[in-house]
Amino acid sequence: MGIQQTFYEAMREHGITRRSFLKFCSLTAAGLGLGPEFAGKIAYALETKPRTPVIWLHGLECTCCSESFIRSGHPLAADVILSMISLDYDDTLMAAAGYQAEEILEQTIAKYDGNFILACEGNPPLNEDGMYCIQGGKPYVEKLRRMASHCKAIIAWGSCASWGCVQAAKPNPTRATPIHKVITDKPVIKVPGCPPIAEVMTGVITYMLTFDRFPELDRQGRPKMFYSQRNHDKCYRRANFDAGQFVERFDDEGARKGYCLYKMGCKGPTTHNACSTVEWNGGLSWPVKSGHGCLGCSEDNFWDRGSFYSAVTDLNVVGQVESRADKIGAVLAGAAVVGVAAHAAASVISHTKDNNKGGDSHD
Amino acid sequence: MTETVTANGFKLDTGGQRVVVDPICRIEGHLRIEVNLDDENVIRNAVSTGTMWRGLEVILKGRDPRDAWAFTERICGVCTGVHALASVRAVEDALGIQIPENANHIRNLMMLAQYTQDHLVHFYHLHALDWVDVVSALKADPKATSALQQSISKWPKSSPGYFRGTQARLKRFVESGQLGPFSNAYWGSPAYKLPPEANLMAVTHYLEALDFQREIVKIHTIFGGRNPHPNWVVGGMPCSFSLNETGAINMEWLNLVSSIIDRSIDFVDQVYIPDLKAIASFYTEWTNYGGGLSGKNLMSYGDFPRVANDWSQDNMYLPGGAIINGDLSKVHEVDVRDPEQIQEFVAHSWYKYPDESKGLHPWDGITEPDFELGPNSKGTKTDIKEIDEDAKYSFVKAPRWRGNAMEVGPLARYVVAYARGDKEIKEQVDGLLHDLGLPLTALFSTLGRTAARGLECSWSAHKMREVFDNMLANLKAGDTATSNMDLWEPNTWPADAKGVGHVEAPRGSLGHWVHIKDTKIESYQAVVPTTWNASPRDPAGNIGAYEAALLGTPMANAQQPLEILRTVHSFDPCLACATH
Amino acid sequence: MNSNVASGPHDPANQKAVYVFEAPVRLWHWLHTFSFLTLAVTGYLIADPLPSPIGIPSDHFLMGNIRLIHFIAAYVFAIGFAVRIYWALVGNRFSREIFYLPFWRADWWKDLFYELGFYLFLIRKQHKTLGHNPLAQTAMFFLNTLMTFFMIGTGFALYGQGLGEGSWADQGFGWIIPLLGGEQATRNWHDMGMWIMLVFVIIHIYMAVRADIIGRESSVSTMIGGWRLFKDDQP
Ligand code: HEM
Ligand code: HEM
Ligand code: NFV
Ligand code: SF4
Ligand code: SF4
Ligand code: F3S
Ligand SMILES: [Mg+2]
Repeated sequence: MGIQQTFYEAMREHGITRRSFLKFCSLTAAGLGLGPEFAGKIAYALETKPRTPVIWLHGLECTCCSESFIRSGHPLAADVILSMISLDYDDTLMAAAGYQAEEILEQTIAKYDGNFILACEGNPPLNEDGMYCIQGGKPYVEKLRRMASHCKAIIAWGSCASWGCVQAAKPNPTRATPIHKVITDKPVIKVPGCPPIAEVMTGVITYMLTFDRFPELDRQGRPKMFYSQRNHDKCYRRANFDAGQFVERFDDEGARKGYCLYKMGCKGPTTHNACSTVEWNGGLSWPVKSGHGCLGCSEDNFWDRGSFYSAVTDLNVVGQVESRADKIGAVLAGAAVVGVAAHAAASVISHTKDNNKGGDSHD
Repeated sequence: MTETVTANGFKLDTGGQRVVVDPICRIEGHLRIEVNLDDENVIRNAVSTGTMWRGLEVILKGRDPRDAWAFTERICGVCTGVHALASVRAVEDALGIQIPENANHIRNLMMLAQYTQDHLVHFYHLHALDWVDVVSALKADPKATSALQQSISKWPKSSPGYFRGTQARLKRFVESGQLGPFSNAYWGSPAYKLPPEANLMAVTHYLEALDFQREIVKIHTIFGGRNPHPNWVVGGMPCSFSLNETGAINMEWLNLVSSIIDRSIDFVDQVYIPDLKAIASFYTEWTNYGGGLSGKNLMSYGDFPRVANDWSQDNMYLPGGAIINGDLSKVHEVDVRDPEQIQEFVAHSWYKYPDESKGLHPWDGITEPDFELGPNSKGTKTDIKEIDEDAKYSFVKAPRWRGNAMEVGPLARYVVAYARGDKEIKEQVDGLLHDLGLPLTALFSTLGRTAARGLECSWSAHKMREVFDNMLANLKAGDTATSNMDLWEPNTWPADAKGVGHVEAPRGSLGHWVHIKDTKIESYQAVVPTTWNASPRDPAGNIGAYEAALLGTPMANAQQPLEILRTVHSFDPCLACATH
Repeated sequence: MNSNVASGPHDPANQKAVYVFEAPVRLWHWLHTFSFLTLAVTGYLIADPLPSPIGIPSDHFLMGNIRLIHFIAAYVFAIGFAVRIYWALVGNRFSREIFYLPFWRADWWKDLFYELGFYLFLIRKQHKTLGHNPLAQTAMFFLNTLMTFFMIGTGFALYGQGLGEGSWADQGFGWIIPLLGGEQATRNWHDMGMWIMLVFVIIHIYMAVRADIIGRESSVSTMIGGWRLFKDDQP
């Protein structure tokens, strides 16, 4: 085996001075919300460790998580791939194909048993014996299970791997199933979003490499550093929300003034993601900033909540028929009023009759 | 005995050695290719199998048509946005919604940015390694690489030191013993023809392009909030202009768009195109292979309306039409509404129709999965060794135009526009052929397909400038509207409406057909570029574009599928798109 | 008719009073009523906000105030309910009635069907009940007691998301969110809860007023003064 190159060595090779390397470390520390005392730790980790093998599998998905990943500006995706990790398998980017590609999987198990990260984009379908996603002639779920049983931990990229996403929307014809429901004996770090933000993806990976531990996860298995607040909590239009100033129609007066998109169905109030803080494509913008409400794309089952353009969404109680609380509620309340009125009328009639019979009303 | 001739005139021989390549990597989605080789290792039969299905058309039933763009956008994150655009166009068509001029300009700009980024990433990150030997780059002399670079382009990043840096980085990388995505590949194969200097130049630009593509997509971020998967809206665009307010798109963002356009033009013209020409000059024999359907049947719907809401071909920046039997003197009009023209067949696809001898126009389309292996397949249901192409064998349907299998994509668009006499495109094509000393027929090949994509990337980068300037002129004239909300509320819609939206996506002709009933989606069908190109056989026996293109190609080594990868990659396959 | 009033069942001489609702129960009832109505109005406006006020956002706090009122009422609603639960433990036997259904008692079922028959006009003679009749008790148990738990649970779970990861409300109630399928789903169920309670309230107020007018026993005044007045002395 050749000499293993550490991240620091790789950076030096890249023409980066020790000084700017250390600066990178302190920026990383600050970017992760850590104190300056962590910069030294990061530097130490990056100077001494060989690159961690990553096996990146694709199930049912649209590859936009990969596309998002390569948009990462800090660190650059190229630096992650060439210097920080060893991306030994990724069907979207790897040079080999066919059996030469699949061989790498067994080689990885032999060489790095229990020591590689399994990055999953997309999810396995379980209907038709798993044959809605065939790889190498076999169901994808087999490959997933085999690699999962030898990996150290799993990163579930995107809403597909984390929750099921679009192919799992009703009626989920292929029974597309999120990773944590198929693999139950390995830690699964969910990085939801459709897709997740590039720098969130590389942030999660670099955290694991530099601190040699998993990021702290919230109740639903998402790294707290990116998912513990809702877009709404840090939205720059929050002042308009609190003031009650809303866009009522696309391109109306309010839209041009950048009012809050709540009435246009913005799901920022219920969506845990880093869009309003990290923002997209190098911190340039995010859905709300462009004038469209948040779809809630990092939340479980955001596809089946009914229209993206209303604040009150579906309860999902009666299949695909619209079942919004306010609509059902108004019908129920209306029925109650009508029922009460009818009952009152009937009572009056019945009471008068009783009284007419001789007042023996309660006999 | 084993020899047959297909309805579209290709000779197949199912004898000889069967070679299976699964997975095909460096594509989007999951594709399997099987070929039969004769004694000389020449491909005599080819089978293209799409091996994934998600059921988007089934999932869309019963939903609000205004939400459909978001669902269909998730058909693909590589050609992100194209399905969203097809979807909003289909719904607007059904409901009779006219979009404002600015929305048309913005949509054009976003699609052109998509072309530029998608083509660039395809060339460097999905296709280049078929032609470029990464390991050979270690042997290059950085000085000679620098000289080569300076002789073909004025791109400023060309010093010997710059190339030495990349080489050193590559060296450490290779020596680390952790080859990452370059593991187990075909380095050193005699099929690689580039000298080490050209390899080093290309590898360097692999990294540069990976960095630069992030910039191009910022056009999506500005108008749609993010990339991948920007936002769209039925009736226009969700973004607004506020030129005298604070809150929406202002001069600063417009300037950023303008700057991205300038930088894109520079990158494509000074890096991509020179690299393409340099690499092509070492592989001219690849103008003899991989032609397939391209010399016969090509199709484009035409796209990029200059003026909003006018779908006539003379209003298109990129005019469409169909070429049949290689007759460039006649461009046929394509009518996406005509039930006789576009039809999908499933006789060899893993779906069910009541009568599979017939095709269905997408407005009558059915998507009902039916996974079943043919009697002559080898292996078991969950461990397929060999596909039986006489039975159902792919999750890709077989779309046909007037019964013909068609090739779609940049090459098809370029040939159609060339045949229509489009000045800009004729100039580009003739220029390239002249520089490489090749005849027009050289276009009908693997290399021609790859070259057309490069030319189109340059075309789209330049076209962004024109569209952007038109948009500014419109803003200057006082029109700042970006969406038309007159028919936003479902209670303004007819009880029953059908619509079609078409887009020339990076990989070819894309159409979405929607039927809206009582304000909900009654049926939704997408016929996608890769559905055309990767299509399996139809009941008449016509083979699809991938299958046709692979025929007749000699392989240097049957165990190393480089040649298969080259031709299949020249189409830029997207299987998530194809099957959806 | 007049003679009937003088000597019949409506004769005040025949009326008897029983102390049913102790002061804390009555106080809670009206606090509960008032906070619920406030929550319902503000909640509705959160789900479907008012038209936008004009001007710079810092001049207004319309949505903010609506939410603030919602949260203040929510605390009153929740603390009131907590005290009410305490009172169920220490108060008289009527104070426990809304917290359980004595489904194991045959006569309770018999009474339940009796009341059902009465309200469907199948039975003429109304039962006398000291506390809540079984039908009212069932409705109160499901549509008020359980729903109050539900609204407090989902409400504070949502509130905890605003207070932040790890806040007391998140730790105490946050687990409800994944159970209901996410935060948006939780919000929608919280909204649905309002409508369900509203249906109860409509029927409940009608029943209360109706009982006062044509029933055999006092009702609204009982909830004010605590004493149940029977208007006749028949069984
Ligand atoms: C019967 C009692 C209650 C009723 C009728 C009620 C009603 C509502 C309604 C209709 C909404 C709007 C939901 C939507 O937008 O879909 C709402 C939101 C909310 N409610 Fe309640 N609620 C009640 C109790 C509570 C309690 C006890 C709390 C605890 C703090 C609470 C906290 C919230 C919160 C945090 C929101 C979201 C507001 C926002 O983030 O803007 N609610 N409520
Ligand atoms: C003006 C409106 C209201 C009136 C006139 C009213 C009247 C009454 C009366 C007369 C009773 C006693 C019933 C009996 O004798 O069996 C009662 C009990 C009750 N009411 Fe109301 N009510 C009103 C509003 C509400 C509201 C809005 C709620 C719930 C949100 C509510 C919940 C209850 C409950 C839970 C009890 C049982 C009390 C206990 O046993 O602790 N009421 N109400
Ligand atoms: N085929 C295809 Fe697409 C494209 N270009 C879709 O319309 O890639 Ni995913
Ligand atoms: S999570 Fe969304 S964006 Fe990512 S692969 Fe799935 S569908 Fe595509
Ligand atoms: S735009 Fe969306 S995220 Fe921002 S304040 Fe309004 S509702 Fe919240
Ligand atoms: S739609 Fe997704 S990208 Fe962010 S703003 Fe909403 S979570
Ligand atoms: Mg289709």
